[in-house]
Formats: sequence, structure tokens, C-alpha cells
Amino acid sequence: MIINHQILVLGGGPAGLNAAKYAANAGADVGLIDSGVRLGGQYWRHTGDISVDHAMHHNFDQGSLLIDAVLTNPQIKVYLECQIWSVSIVNDSIVLRSLFQIFQTQKLIIATGAYDRSIPFPGWDIPGVITAGAAQALLKGSGVIAGKNIVVAGTGPFLLPVAAGISRHGGNIVGVLEAAYKTSWVKGITTLIRSPFKIVEGFGYIKTLRKNKVELRFGHAVTAAHAGADGLLESVTVANIDRNFNVKSTYSLKCDVAAISWGFTPDTSIAGALDVRQRVNHDGSVIIEVDDDQRAIQSNALIEIYAAGESTGIGGSELALAEGAIAGLAAAHDPGISNQLRKLRRRAQKFAHTLSKVYPVASGWQSWLTSETLICRCEEVTYQTVREAAEELGAIDARGAKLMTRCGMGMCQGRICGRSISDLFDGNQVDRIQFASRPIITPITLGELAQEGLL
Amino acid sequence: MITFTFNGVELFAISGQSVSAALLTNNERITRYTRINNSPRGLFCGIGVCFDCLLIIDGKPNQRGCITMVQSGMTVEIQK
Amino acid sequence: MKNNPDAIIIGAGVIGVSTALELTSAGLKVLILDRGSVASGTTSAGEGNILVSDKEPGPELDLALRSRNAWFELDEAIGGGFELEAKCGVVVARTELGVGKLRRLTTAQRQHGITAHDICSDELHELEPNLSPSIEYGTYYPQDAQCQPMLATARMLSSIKNRGGEFISGATVTGILVQGGRVSGVVTNRGRFSAPVVINAAGTWAGPIAELAGSYLPIAPRRGFILVSVPTRPLIFHKVYDADYVANVASNNSDLQTSAVVEGTKSGTILIGASRERVGFRTGIDFTVLRILAQQAIELFPILSDIQLLRAYRGFRPYAPDHLPVIGEDPGIRGLWHNAGHEGAGIGLAPGSAQLLSDGILGKSSFMSSDAFSPSRFTAELAK
Repeated sequence: MIINHQILVLGGGPAGLNAAKYAANAGADVGLIDSGVRLGGQYWRHTGDISVDHAMHHNFDQGSLLIDAVLTNPQIKVYLECQIWSVSIVNDSIVLRSLFQIFQTQKLIIATGAYDRSIPFPGWDIPGVITAGAAQALLKGSGVIAGKNIVVAGTGPFLLPVAAGISRHGGNIVGVLEAAYKTSWVKGITTLIRSPFKIVEGFGYIKTLRKNKVELRFGHAVTAAHAGADGLLESVTVANIDRNFNVKSTYSLKCDVAAISWGFTPDTSIAGALDVRQRVNHDGSVIIEVDDDQRAIQSNALIEIYAAGESTGIGGSELALAEGAIAGLAAAHDPGISNQLRKLRRRAQKFAHTLSKVYPVASGWQSWLTSETLICRCEEVTYQTVREAAEELGAIDARGAKLMTRCGMGMCQGRICGRSISDLFDGNQVDRIQFASRPIITPITLGELAQEGLL
Repeated sequence: MITFTFNGVELFAISGQSVSAALLTNNERITRYTRINNSPRGLFCGIGVCFDCLLIIDGKPNQRGCITMVQSGMTVEIQK
Repeated sequence: MKNNPDAIIIGAGVIGVSTALELTSAGLKVLILDRGSVASGTTSAGEGNILVSDKEPGPELDLALRSRNAWFELDEAIGGGFELEAKCGVVVARTELGVGKLRRLTTAQRQHGITAHDICSDELHELEPNLSPSIEYGTYYPQDAQCQPMLATARMLSSIKNRGGEFISGATVTGILVQGGRVSGVVTNRGRFSAPVVINAAGTWAGPIAELAGSYLPIAPRRGFILVSVPTRPLIFHKVYDADYVANVASNNSDLQTSAVVEGTKSGTILIGASRERVGFRTGIDFTVLRILAQQAIELFPILSDIQLLRAYRGFRPYAPDHLPVIGEDPGIRGLWHNAGHEGAGIGLAPGSAQLLSDGILGKSSFMSSDAFSPSRFTAELAK
């Protein structure tokens, strides 16, 4: 079955929702595709039970209003639980394939969002070590607290809502460890002042943590995890680190869950398959390059591809909403993209840029690795193996290391380790972009692939 | 409340939860053992990206527990 | 470089590096240049086939047989570490016509030193228990082998470096210096290098390199896709393919040819090759091709229907119009040697080709005549 829409939006988070809404309000016929069971993406992930959802989110009103607006808009057809496994350009049309449908369009808006950035450290493969996003998804999506004694660690503004959310719902947070120094907040303070909402939001989380007597430490990180006899997480090594992430001193902390994230990595998996121009952002992540109308750069004049939200650079929900609105209007060829909207986007971009400077991931994390530390979780490739590829076999980039050691070749196709491997090799632009390209976005069976009518 | 089985044992879950969430609620943290080192693994990214929480669900291997919704009568097994 | 090298090799793929290794063993000082890094072109885009089964009797089969044995000698010589495995091939025929053709091929191959056991139903399914029960005829080739080409090339390169050879990555050759009909060196973005011998081992890109010297090589890309499954329990134990594959390899049709070559790997994945299309250096993925490969693989092994596809990747095989590699000295420029155009058999043919070329450079007699592979065979074409 082939489904045609004037505009297809891939991803139902803030950017995709707003893109669909604005495009539909401008008169376009829109298809909105998301792999989840409910709209909202990671940011507005919810259980569907209204009383629970409003308790879980400090600010779910905005999200539920937007989701309702999209769901009730007759111009928008929503496709949920629709996992796109491949995208390509066939006869000057964009074709997206899910297991049960084939979508065809001339205009695609990529709003595939981002996922937690992880960096390897000894023991990060022990059950109980999860990402902060996983803890958040459990809480917001299933109403479950990830463990009995939870450490939240890493860097970035996302750690606070995760810890506060767990704490507010009765979970025991044994520590929040922010790698950034408290004083580095000063660097971003001028921009922070211009976004009073964010300040209020941040203070709200800190108030929750204080009220529940949760310790928030700056300049600290989890640098190793340790399993008990049952193979499950029992404790972590917490290090007092310098600004370059080198360890100054350590202590041990008992916990059964360590939720650790180092910011986010944009998901641009499909951009490579569409030959859309990508570049490496200042934080080392690969992003889709867009113009002032959120339009991506590619060579086929008969199609239009736009990108909005985290896939164009990590920026948070306000930026995603602004970019989504602009992308939706531009794709619908609505001339009314207001200066106000562009101004809103510029402000959010500035804020995001400042935040990323406040929460840098310094290269000192590489000193936490031991020779046995897994770099690639899927293929179980150790740091020593990767180093040998570099020193003995002449691997000079992530691609070479991948082909020689299988790091990044496993089930996640390098989504988790790719960025770290590129960092280990100080990889260049081409290498990073190549590593982030995944023409088969998600596994499908060969039987499904073999079906006729695939295009 | 619904029931599903994990390695043959009947467990309770709430409809609308992910398989990962249902397993955690039942204090089950290991979803698979790895191919090379036979190490235990469990939930990691929680949003379908990392492929670490792989399970055999209703006989199908390599299913991600974090993005599969638990269903009444579902059979879930550790993947080795 | 302190001292001028005796030979410059353009291309750090399996062909260039095995040639450099051969010359190093003969006592020459080599400099290898590559615009990328080691094995960053076609070498890393294949399955690592070392096949004798897919070749019809002729010079290429002789070269393949010598190469196959040379791979095992090399494994000993450099201490392994590149996953060389005598995997053995199973070629099956599904039609009466196919059976006839396969039996004629194996009869001829046996006369050229190939071990080929014609087998029927029971033996076939004992070798490959998951093979479709409808397939009743096949041939077992114990000499077919496999290696990890990226590692093989990297290991050879480190052996060369240990013996004084040099490698410069990121060095794009922009000019070939020729004086009075003799090559004298190359110009690159990383500087100018002199040597009395220059070897063009640029694979799919060997044509433009020949052009830099004012010569001509009609080598063009033939695109191929490979499917990679998720890791599974062992399901397929040999390299298994349909006899039609042999005809496809030799085909002059520019359209798509597919004939699934299916194999399990040590890492637990299943590889499904190999399509062949002449579409230039076209990027992107053609899902029609992937679909056909999946269909053919399932026809051979119905069990694959439930196995998940994880990745797909693409490579450009370097092919010459007559499907034979180009091994020998340029007919117009003394000291310029070519070793390229091995199409989909470059891994398998590498050590034999290296030996043949090295013997040519050193003026030694070799294990076979290189006449069939001579670059001069295109001169007549050029004159037209």
C-alpha cells in the first residue's frame, strides 16, 4: 500500500508536532509518522493516563494542547507505531518504508530528535547503568522508578529534571553528580537571564531536590561502575574531576541504578540515505545543515527536505518548536513566516549555544578507560583492541577502526559508540558523518525485505 | 493488571507499560547475555536506540524491551 | 623520505599492499601512497572471497589457484591475524540446465587442478542442513577460502613498515613524472617523490591514474551491494551460491545481475552478496537490488526469511572490458606498471598478482605467463 501526502513529517516530538500543525494550518495535507505508541516524542513522553501525566510533567499543558491540536486537525493524518526502516529517493519522490506501509511525498520534514550521549567508562555495560533518558522514559512513559538507590550523573541541564522527577515520585536519589563546575554557570549567565522561564524551571528542580535532601555536586562524575556477585550494579566510583575531566580524587557510592548522560546526540540516521548535507557541530555531533527556512541542502530540485529540532543541533524544546513552525510553514510554501518566529528561533539558538558551553564534555574522560573497558557494547570491543588497531594496524579514523575491530558494527550501528570512537581518533568531518549514516535505519527480516511492491 | 511470563514464570504488569518497565517492576534487570563474553545486559538507553535490552518476545529474538508494550499473555525470555 | 625508494605504489588496497610486500621481500625499498588510509576503497567493501570455484578454466583460474595457496603461505609468513579460513564453497544448481552447466564446468576445472566434488541431495544437505530441500545438486569446493581483507591488508602493511617500507596516507597523486618515455616519480598534495618504478594499484580509480601519465586503462566501476544480517546462531557453514553466479561474473550486460552468495561469518552475522551493476559511481542504496538479493538468499535458505537484516553496504569493483585483471608494464611508458582491474576477485587474486608483477619488474620468470593480463591488450582499442 502506497500512502501519499503533500508533506510528510517524520517524528512526533515538539519539532514534528509543530511542523505538522503549522503546515496543516497553512492548508497542506500532512502525514505525521512516529514510531511510538503516543505522540509527544521523548520530551512529552506520557502514559496516556491524564492524571498520571500531569503529575509526571511539571509543564504538560503545552504538550497536551499541541498533541490535541494535531490529533484533531482534519488536515493531518497521524501514523503511530510506524517504524521507518529505510528512506530513499525513487523517481524524484521521497519514499519512506515501514513494515506495513510505503509513504511517498515530495516534501519531507525530518524531526527525528536526539538520544542521550553516552561515553564509555569501566563497567558501563553492567545492568543497572542506564542513561538519564532511560530513567526519564521509565518514569514518564510507564510510571516506573528505575531503581531503589539511584545516582544521576553526567552533564547538562537534563540531569536536574530527571533527578527531581524521580525524587518527587518517591524514588531515592543518592546523589546528583554534575561534571561542570558551578562557577562555569557564570559564563552563560547573561543569556540565562534573557530566558527567565528556564531560570524558574531550573530553580524549581533544585528546590525539589533540596526539599528531598538530595545532594547536588558540581565537578564530579561517575568514572567506574561495579557489579555484585549477581552481576548487577552494586556501586559506582565517583570522582572529583578537574575541568579537563581528569580525576583528582575518588570515593565509592552504593547504588543499584546509575543514570548517566552527557548531553544528547542528534539522530540523523536517514540523512545519509537521502544525500542531505550534514556537518559537524561545535560539540562534535553530526547535524543536518539547514537554511533560514529550515530547508536542508540536497541536489534533487524536484523534492524538498526540511529538518527541525534536535537533528539540526541540540537546542531544547523551545528551539524545536520554533524550528518546527518555520519548517512547517516553509514546506507549505506559506509566505507568512514572521520575523517574530525567526527572532524566537534566534534567541533559542543562542540559549542552546550558551548552554553547550556551560556543559562541555572534555577529553579527559579517555583517562577513565582501562584496557578492558568496552568501547563498543554491541560487538564487545575493548579499548585495548581499538588502540591496537591504531598503533599496530594503522587505523587513523573511526571508519578504519570499525573495519578492523568491528567497533560500531553491531546492532545499534554505532549510535552509542560512534561519537566516542571518532573522539578517540580526533576524527574529521567526513569520518564523523560517514559513521552516522545508517541506510537500514532499523532491522527488518529478510522475509519482509523480500516482499514484492517495495519500491 | 495483566499477566505475562518471563522465563516461564508468570508476572504482573500494568497495561500500557513497556516490557522493560514491567520487568523492572518485578525486579528483573537482566534481559540477555552477550554473544562473546556471555555478560549480562539490561536496559540501557530506554528509547530503542542501543539494542541492549534485547529479549525473545513471543518466540522472536532481538526484540527491544524498552519500545515493546507488554501484552496480556506475552511470553518473554532472556536472550542468550 | 630520507632515501629515494626503489618503487612507488599508488594505492594502499589489498593489491597495492601485497605488491609492495612482494617487492619488499625481494629487497626493494617501497613507498606506498594512498589518498585515503589503508584499505579505504574497494578492499574494505567486499566479503574477503578467496574463490577458485567461480572461475572458468583459463589464465584467471591459474592465477586464482596460485593466489589461494599464496594466501596460506602468507598467513604463515606474517603470523596470521587476518582471519584466514578454509571455508570451502558449495555451489548449487536448481535447474536441469544449471546442473548440466555446473557438471561441465567442474569437469573442466578438475583438469586445471581444482578439487571439485560433484554431490547430490544427501551429501549436500549434510553439508548445509538449512539448504532448501528442493535443491538436489551441487559441487563442493574444498579450496574456496576467506579472509578479513581489511586486516590482511593492514597486517601486510605493518610487515612492510617493519622492514623499512613507508606508507603515506592522505596523499593524493596529482601527477606522474615521465621523462623520455620513462617514469621518474609522482607529484602529490604531500610533495613530490622520485622512483624508477611506479605501480598503479589504484583499483577502481586506476584509469584516471593511468591518464595522469598520458596512458590509458579502460577500468570502470561495477557497483555491488552486500547485505549483513544481525548475529545469529550458526546457520550456514560454507560459502553457498547458485551456479548462475559464474555466468553473472562473466556477463557483459550492463543491467543488474544478482545471484546470492550466502555465508555465515565468525562474528555470527550472515553475509549475502552480490549484485553487479554498471551504474558508474552512483551513491545511495537501491532497495530493488536489496530485495532481489533477499529473495534469492531465501530461495537457497528458507530459514533466512525470519532473520533480520542489520546493514547493507556498497562497493565499486574495478572491471576491465574482458573481465581480466591488468597486470604488467605500461606499453608506452617504461617503469610504469599496472596492477588493477580485479573486479570482484581482488582479494583472492592479490598475492598471485603481486608475485606476477614483482617477477615482471625484477625480470624473473614467474609461475605463469602474464600475457593474458598485459595492459597492451587495450592499445588496439585505443587506436580505434
